[in-house]
Amino acid sequence: MHTTMTSLLAADTPTVMTPTTPHLTIEAVTKRFGSFTALDGISLTINEGEFVCFLGPSGCGKTTLLRTIAGLTQQTTGTLIQRDKDISTLPTQARDFGIVFQSYALFPNLTVFNNVAYGLRNRRVERSRIQARVGELLALVNLTGSENKYPAALSGGQQQRVALARALATEPGLLLLDEPLSALDARVRGHLRSQIKALQARLGVTTIMVTHDQEEALTMADRIVVMNHGVIEQVGTPAEIYHQPASAFVASFIGSMNFLEVTAQGDNQALLGTMPCACLSHTLKVGQAAQLAIRPEAVALSRQAGALNGEVIGIEFLGPFQRVTLRLTDVDQTLIADVPSRDSTDLNLYQGQVLGIHLPAEAARLYPAGSSQQ
Amino acid sequence: MIAESFVKSATKPSLESLNRLLALLAGVALLVVGLLFPLVTMLIKSLQDRAGDFIGLANFAHYFQTPALVNSIANSLRVALMTTGVVVGLAFLCAYGITRTCMPGKRLFRMLAILPILAPSLLPAISLVYLFGNQGFLRDLLAGQSVYGPIGIVMGMSFWIFPHALMLLTTALTNSDARLYEAAEALGTPKWRTFLTITLPGVRYGLISCLFVVFTLAITDFGVPKIIGGQFSVLATDVYRQVVGQQNFQMGAVVSVILLLPAVLSFIVDRWIQRRQVAQLSARAVPWQPSPSPLRDWIFTLLCYAVAGAIVLVIGTAVYASLVQFWPYNLSITFEHYTFQGMADGGWGAWFNSLKLAFSVALVGTLVIFFNAWLIEKSEGFRPLRQGLHFMAMLPMAVPGMVLGLAYIFFFNQAGNPFNWLYGTLTILVLNTLVHFYTVCHLTSVTALKQLDPEFEAVGASLKVPFWTTFCRVTLPVSLPAVLDISVYLFVNAMTTVSAVVFLYNSDTRLASVAVLHLDEAGYFASAAAMAVLIFLTSLVVKLLHTALTHVLLNNAQRWRHAC
Ligand SMILES: Nc1ncnc2c1ncn2[C@@H]1O[C@H](COP(=O)(O)OP(=O)(O)OP(=O)(O)O)[C@@H](O)[C@H]1O
Ligand SMILES: [Mg+2]
Repeated sequence: MHTTMTSLLAADTPTVMTPTTPHLTIEAVTKRFGSFTALDGISLTINEGEFVCFLGPSGCGKTTLLRTIAGLTQQTTGTLIQRDKDISTLPTQARDFGIVFQSYALFPNLTVFNNVAYGLRNRRVERSRIQARVGELLALVNLTGSENKYPAALSGGQQQRVALARALATEPGLLLLDEPLSALDARVRGHLRSQIKALQARLGVTTIMVTHDQEEALTMADRIVVMNHGVIEQVGTPAEIYHQPASAFVASFIGSMNFLEVTAQGDNQALLGTMPCACLSHTLKVGQAAQLAIRPEAVALSRQAGALNGEVIGIEFLGPFQRVTLRLTDVDQTLIADVPSRDSTDLNLYQGQVLGIHLPAEAARLYPAGSSQQ
Repeated sequence: MIAESFVKSATKPSLESLNRLLALLAGVALLVVGLLFPLVTMLIKSLQDRAGDFIGLANFAHYFQTPALVNSIANSLRVALMTTGVVVGLAFLCAYGITRTCMPGKRLFRMLAILPILAPSLLPAISLVYLFGNQGFLRDLLAGQSVYGPIGIVMGMSFWIFPHALMLLTTALTNSDARLYEAAEALGTPKWRTFLTITLPGVRYGLISCLFVVFTLAITDFGVPKIIGGQFSVLATDVYRQVVGQQNFQMGAVVSVILLLPAVLSFIVDRWIQRRQVAQLSARAVPWQPSPSPLRDWIFTLLCYAVAGAIVLVIGTAVYASLVQFWPYNLSITFEHYTFQGMADGGWGAWFNSLKLAFSVALVGTLVIFFNAWLIEKSEGFRPLRQGLHFMAMLPMAVPGMVLGLAYIFFFNQAGNPFNWLYGTLTILVLNTLVHFYTVCHLTSVTALKQLDPEFEAVGASLKVPFWTTFCRVTLPVSLPAVLDISVYLFVNAMTTVSAVVFLYNSDTRLASVAVLHLDEAGYFASAAAMAVLIFLTSLVVKLLHTALTHVLLNNAQRWRHAC
């Protein structure tokens, strides 16, 4: 999976950002349900025109944060500022956003046309202008000609696009999407992903999307907000999140990651068993138990024995690469290495083989012990 | 009351939540005035003497020292328990026939079995007099026993309570899991053990709930014992006799409090069961399909159609009795009894009053109850208010009609009560009937609303559409089948009920069901039968219209349900 991810990341040329103006500022927002804290002091700024993903495991508070922004849930404490206006206590109706729910919540008794026109009707817009606007929106989501169908007659992907058109109809400044693709099957999902992204880029509407699918977040977002247990673990571009995870949680949640138990040493050093290894600089105390994180594709294997060696105990064929599980010779720990298929012929892999292992210092990060599990 | 909230146009968003609050408060006020205050007033009355001074439990002491009154407790328990045994036994067998056998003619049987609901409970009592009374053509079947008394009461109650039990048990037996039966069969389990170890435990909650519902209906029924009870008095007829006969309101209140106890107990048990049952449902259950078994199927066909035959016989007798010149001496057919000469002000006026009441309750009640349920289910905030409203919406189920009616006298007839002007109007009858049958409608609404996408309101709000627009354009149309069910339920009950309204009519607002009672008291048995039949036919026509309308709606107007 990670190869697809790295290639996607490589393809993701950072869009040129105009000088950024904040669209939405969230300050120290906390939400409690009784004694349970669903959001714990969330602070975040979302810029004009940006596509931001909230990513995190189930129950981490993504939906709660989105609903707080929408005014559907009232935060316990904290402030929300949209375009310099304090919206913290405004009711939903008075806030400027459009929303697409996971269930789409299309009105089953209204046609596609009436669903999309639902928010326009109320504004006393003339009929002809409503008609023109709905036509425009349906063209935007490639649904021209479905005006008179009922939601039940549409496929999941089509329903999703109707919901999107309905949310965009009133030209909101902010678009909120709560797991908009999770109810669809994998192929439709991939297609819609690029469609939504292209649409967003074209309209330039500031967008927040909730997802628990890391691939979705990495491919679509300008910036990702990784959440866990109601707090933000890291905010960054997909490449930052992937290559420089700020915590062991982020490291383990995104992509595959090896965690080796080590003891922190002086700057740039750790002890794996009795063997010193180099790593990126860290702030841990000397002698503190730590874990050394390294991605499988960063691990280099060779037929020559080196300072660190391991015995091959498993080989999985995964198409473009082979996933090799090794037991380290001197310390009783396992390590996974991804070997591109063309290198694996040189290695001539077989079970029980002992290989030399190199852990590049620039790919190895130290985190405090016991902090990686979600 | 609700309309107020629609009048104000919402230009500012804060108005919207104010409107919501106002609507909620209106809903709460309705039930506080229409239920809580009257009940509390009644409880207080039971602790006062005739002059209105507080005398503690003296009334109760007096009650328990009067053998004629205390006897009624035992009498009521006796007939209620017997009725429960008969009804639940028969209904279980019939429900089993419908759900677990391949008997032919299930639809016809279900249609016939539902008929008693459309008739006032006075109708079977009148028919039974014609069938088994002193001149009855089947009286020999009773082997010398008199139908005036417990036997007649149990038969009459069984007739009109049967459909309620049948519906509950059919639902309970429908929720079966085929996988359990397949497992049992694979293990070679004998049929009787499968029944004891799978079927019965599977329906135990439905069965217990049914037992309590039937028991409550039986112990609080007024119509049947009033007509056919003779000298055999029960609690419900005691309330009537104390209040209407002897003008002893305090004692009426005492009996009402005693009558309230079994109903409240059964209400608590039912709530407890409902909470348990939820956990039992499994989403992956596979419905069980019966396979033919000739002997079993024929036994159940015979049984079900014997029951249906009895129902048709009872209704047919009432119809026949209403058409015969002078039973049993002159059997020529006439429509003379439908002129209701026994009533000074003419019977058709009463029928027309009933029609007005039924239509008003159906219209107002449906809108108010559904809208209140929507406020409870689909609002954010105002939690205590919403919970309070829900609790009060559940209460009417625990209040017998006689008790509610008497409570209304106490509350609305007080001098100085600002609602005093309602007394004796059609409005108080509408309010009373609406409250009396509130709970079932509320539960139906809640069930329908829970099936809707929880985000409809949020979408509406995000598009800056006021909540009542979304309510009218989406929620109401999508829930239309349930809304129609509620309105027909209210119509039929308003048409047939007698227990609460018997205390509340005046000469201008006399109702058809009360007229049956009066005609019977005055000895115009054939006219009483005619009026009961008239009520039955009215309900039947409305029910048929409802069925047709629902059919048309689901097939045409609501094309979106099966859109393609
Ligand atoms: N109304 C509520 N009352 C009580 N607890 C709630 C309520 N809404 C959410 N929670 C709790 O808050 C936590 C966060 O919920 P939230 O729906 O935001 O999670 P999520 O990140 O969207 O998860 P998922 O990926 O499963 O949708 C959960 O533990 C949930 O149980
Ligand atoms: Mg969620």
